[in-house]
Amino acid sequence: MSEVVPLVAAEDTALFGSKAVGLGQALRDGLPVPPGVALAGAVVDAVAGRDEEAIRRVAESVAALHGPLAVRSSAVDEDGADASFAGQHLTLLNVRGAQKLTAAVSEVWWSANSDSAITYRQRVGLFTRPSVGVVIQALVDPETAGVMFTQNPVTGADERVIEASLGLGEAVVAGRVIPDHYRVSREGEILERTAGRKDVAFRSLADGGTFEEQVAPELVERLCLGDDQLAELNRLADRCEQVYGQARDIEWAISGGTLYLLQCRAVTRAGA
Amino acid sequence: MSGAPIAVLQRVPLFAELDESELARVASVFKERRFSQGETVIQQGSGAAAFFVIDSGEVTVLVDGIERRVLQAGDYFGEMALIDAGARTATVKAATDLVCSGVTFWDFRPIVEENGVIGWKLLQTLIEIYRSERDGPPAPG
Repeated sequence: MSEVVPLVAAEDTALFGSKAVGLGQALRDGLPVPPGVALAGAVVDAVAGRDEEAIRRVAESVAALHGPLAVRSSAVDEDGADASFAGQHLTLLNVRGAQKLTAAVSEVWWSANSDSAITYRQRVGLFTRPSVGVVIQALVDPETAGVMFTQNPVTGADERVIEASLGLGEAVVAGRVIPDHYRVSREGEILERTAGRKDVAFRSLADGGTFEEQVAPELVERLCLGDDQLAELNRLADRCEQVYGQARDIEWAISGGTLYLLQCRAVTRAGA
Repeated sequence: MSGAPIAVLQRVPLFAELDESELARVASVFKERRFSQGETVIQQGSGAAAFFVIDSGEVTVLVDGIERRVLQAGDYFGEMALIDAGARTATVKAATDLVCSGVTFWDFRPIVEENGVIGWKLLQTLIEIYRSERDGPPAPG
């Protein structure tokens, strides 16, 4: 079996990790996931060791993606243990060029082999060598992005909770803005829309990496999602629940007017 | 290319008894790791995953928040992580942009398990270090 495959062909979590297989399944189910490739743990290991053949294979595999890339870790489940390791969830955005790609894959390898990751593994009784897969996707450079819960994670109500901000979704995930907050019923009725305070937007730099851009004053407290976009997000929530089951935690982005699914996982409650 | 310079590994007390081919085997599993200026490379008290050799740049070593020394290209730190992954005894911060070669506990251990000669030499070296710590430096003259 190949250890470098198009994301749509990533089916084995023991090889590619849970994130790669989850996104691969989403593509197989027709969900709007940006195209990409999955690297098995052994390839990540080889790239981090500067194995020239592995580096060449990875470079060839991403040639069709064009433009800047997003490089994400994909933790490999071990013995059924929860692989949500500290330091194992790493996303590097706007990676450009072969050298930067090799460095990004190496950084993911080190994130799984860092002091904090090893300490965590020892605490939960894992004494085997860590393995981490990598997902490389075409970077979505969005106008708007955020997260969506298909059920209210606080009250448990059967409604969509959407948080949205301008630019890359990392502004929301990293807590750098107060995002717009929306609640939408399963039937599509908009129950709440509260503008946040979106002082900054994360944007891609031309030579790689991201920066924080100051948002124009008139946009800081203006709602960034319209009714049509909320309806489209509600349809995406429906589709994700059909494929994966109830109570999903979704990362999404809208770029060039197209809605993309970046990640879909089961809701984890605080303290769980 | 991966790998740490053998000349640096020759100066690490833990590897003092290894010959060139054994050092080359150890050097082959090192992987490059880069840090930006100001980044914490290792944190005092944290579990230890890797041993590092500095390829370029400088780090400052701090114990209990007090700066103790500066290390440069060709210097190394954290070698005891290769044996027991115990708590770090110092914090190391990148004073400049930094390129290191590192090897983890997980990658070093199979080398020892596969090669009894290397394992035996490491044991002898550890005993030497233990004796020297216990007895102090030899009396002058």
